[in-house]
Amino acid sequence: MRDEPRPHDDVAALIPMLRRVIGARVDDAATADDLVQETLVRVLAAAARVEPGMLEPYAIVTARNVVASLWREQDRHRRNRHRVVDLDLPDSPDQDLLASEERTAVAEALARLTDRERATLLAHEVSGQDTRSLAAEQGSTAGAVAAQLNRTRARLRVEYLLVRENVEPPTERCRPVLLALSGGDRRRQREVDAGRHLLECDVCAQLSQPLMERAQPRDDEVRIPISTDADIVAARQAARELAARLGFARTELTIIATAVSEVTRNIVRFAGTGEVVVELVDRPRRGVQVTARDTGPGIPDVEKALADGYSTYNGLGLGLPGARRLMDEFAVVSEMGRGTTVTMTKWCGER
Amino acid sequence: MTEHTDEMQPAGSAELTSTAEDQLLPQLVAHLREHRTKLRQEWAGRIQDSGLLHAMTPQEMAAETTSVYDNYVEVLETGSVEALQRYARDLSERIIPRGVETHEVVGIVLLLRDVLARSLFEKYQRDFGLLNRVLDAYEPAANRIANTVAVSFVDERERVIRQQQDSIRELSTPVLPVRERLLILPMIGVLDSERARQLTEQLLTGIRTHRAKVVVIDITGVPAVDEAVANHLVRTVDASRLMGASVIITGLSPDIAQTLVTIGVDLSKMDTIGDLQGGLEEAERLLGYSVTRGDGTGTM
Amino acid sequence: MTGPKLVSILRQGSWLIASIHTALDDTQMLMFQHDLIDQIGRYRSRGVVIDVAALDVLDSFGARTLRTIAEMARLRGAETVIVGIQPDVAFAMVSLGMDTGTVPTALDLEEGLEYLGRPGGARSARHGRAAG
Ligand SMILES: [Zn+2]
Repeated sequence: MRDEPRPHDDVAALIPMLRRVIGARVDDAATADDLVQETLVRVLAAAARVEPGMLEPYAIVTARNVVASLWREQDRHRRNRHRVVDLDLPDSPDQDLLASEERTAVAEALARLTDRERATLLAHEVSGQDTRSLAAEQGSTAGAVAAQLNRTRARLRVEYLLVRENVEPPTERCRPVLLALSGGDRRRQREVDAGRHLLECDVCAQLSQPLMERAQPRDDEVRIPISTDADIVAARQAARELAARLGFARTELTIIATAVSEVTRNIVRFAGTGEVVVELVDRPRRGVQVTARDTGPGIPDVEKALADGYSTYNGLGLGLPGARRLMDEFAVVSEMGRGTTVTMTKWCGER
Repeated sequence: MTEHTDEMQPAGSAELTSTAEDQLLPQLVAHLREHRTKLRQEWAGRIQDSGLLHAMTPQEMAAETTSVYDNYVEVLETGSVEALQRYARDLSERIIPRGVETHEVVGIVLLLRDVLARSLFEKYQRDFGLLNRVLDAYEPAANRIANTVAVSFVDERERVIRQQQDSIRELSTPVLPVRERLLILPMIGVLDSERARQLTEQLLTGIRTHRAKVVVIDITGVPAVDEAVANHLVRTVDASRLMGASVIITGLSPDIAQTLVTIGVDLSKMDTIGDLQGGLEEAERLLGYSVTRGDGTGTM
Repeated sequence: MTGPKLVSILRQGSWLIASIHTALDDTQMLMFQHDLIDQIGRYRSRGVVIDVAALDVLDSFGARTLRTIAEMARLRGAETVIVGIQPDVAFAMVSLGMDTGTVPTALDLEEGLEYLGRPGGARSARHGRAAG
């Protein structure tokens, strides 16, 4: 194990602060606990897309949003709240109405793009024209067109949310901040000091949540919902396939697959349901990062779970300590009654 | 260049100052072609004075400087660096084995840039305005050339180094099939994690392809290992057993034995023999033994 | 019953040759265990070869199941040998921290059968088994 700070250590360090923020707004201790947990899950889900220095402000904003959504939806059954792992929008009885509102919002957002942005986006997304032929038409390169498309999508998400929430950004800094968040561009987030702005601007704070969570699907990331034995096999095979893209040696791919198998089995055995996220990372080096999170009972003593069974097959078995030996980085965050998140990384190539 | 500009007086003929911008480079190229022999010799002299490329004979030097000069002028003329790039790679391939260093290659190209710039300076010195424009046109092109040559050289050098490292690695971890069902893995030199990893892959796949029943790992040539590599070694031995091969380790130094004990390895469970000869005898015995007595191969 | 495509169990005299044809999940692995033990009892087998060459991973559960099979087979009078563990799978197993246990392993089916057929091996074992 290395001593470099890991994102999830940072997230765990946020817990006392989140308790204060949420405790100040919610009287009932059990509800507050639920909300702390939900906030943590959301922050963890976004951690990879957030500049490390921005983690704390983002967590505070998330906590406020989570409390606000509680106030808005007091009637929602509380039990389900902390299980929100996939962060989908809730089902609604009047979906038709919603759908038509969505369409209006999308149309309005599209209208706010420049003609050129809109034409390129529609040609690509609707007509299916590929970036190379778009590049040829525009006298540009496929890479430049792809980058432009990404920027346009990020803008479209921002404009869509502004239309949907029916708000005008109150300051000049709002749009740049929202765009940086929407594009998941961490360097840009730092440049515009997005963290500070979110703390100061309620409008952006509110919009930041859906922006972070609905960021475009990435092709360097796979999410596998876990609930049955068969999902263990699916998770480890997905991890192997994704990691193979980085040019890991065969033995290392099998080591990664084995580690994924172990932590995923822990979810099935001890938590029932959860999810495994496999993603390629390139900082500080290229590697594959696996996040296995569940909403199970939690591990009473993480240190013990990591130390126990070092050479035995009892109890938790080789699951956690075994996976830890297989990977280069390994961290467990667990809260009793709330769930466990295991994050582990294998770096590619020489140390 | 700056010490000369102090003496410069802006002056010049109307004919020269009226030269169109797009005529500057062709004019310049014509000048460099016209004085090719003199300039090239001047350049070669400067190279010698600087003590660069001393690994080359005068004949080689003459041939290469002529080629570089012509390529250089061609880039100025066409604006395309492709031919130069090819030539630079080619040249690098030839001179890298002779021990020519990056700073020498960059040095000679910068010398050429300088020699040519001085010559342009002499030609246009009476027209300060035109001189400036000529140099403005010349310098970006010259820098681009220097850059191209340097990058090609460095790329080629890295490729050669990588190739050498790969072949050294392969040489130092050969899996030798000595006789049917018997592999020897003589390990030589310092083992880092990457080499240990490659070694493991080679050995384990070697066991499969050669259907080995006994493996002798000879580590006489390994001075010391850190704990990570020692751990890797132990895992390799255990994995070989899982594949059904017996492993004999020979040439275990006291230092490495100590490291193994430190990481908790029970040496009594490892088949260690003093030297390779003894290891081979033991291997033959095991192979004979396993045929006549049906010894178990590995366990899990 | 285990589907024919996932695993096959062939009878050859007093031996069983069990081959796993694809990656198995835990439930399928347990079904395989059940079927194999069942057949060992039914045919009074003396030896079992389990070919795991097609397994992508042998994690703690997979390895433990194989050991359980070997132990149950032993109680029923049959000797077990595991064959075909792939190089990368073997290395991942030991990296995971699985100490080498007592179930014999061999390179491939041929070696496994040779192991069972050795003098004093499972073929001639009428009154007991070779220590394993
Ligand atoms: Zn704002």
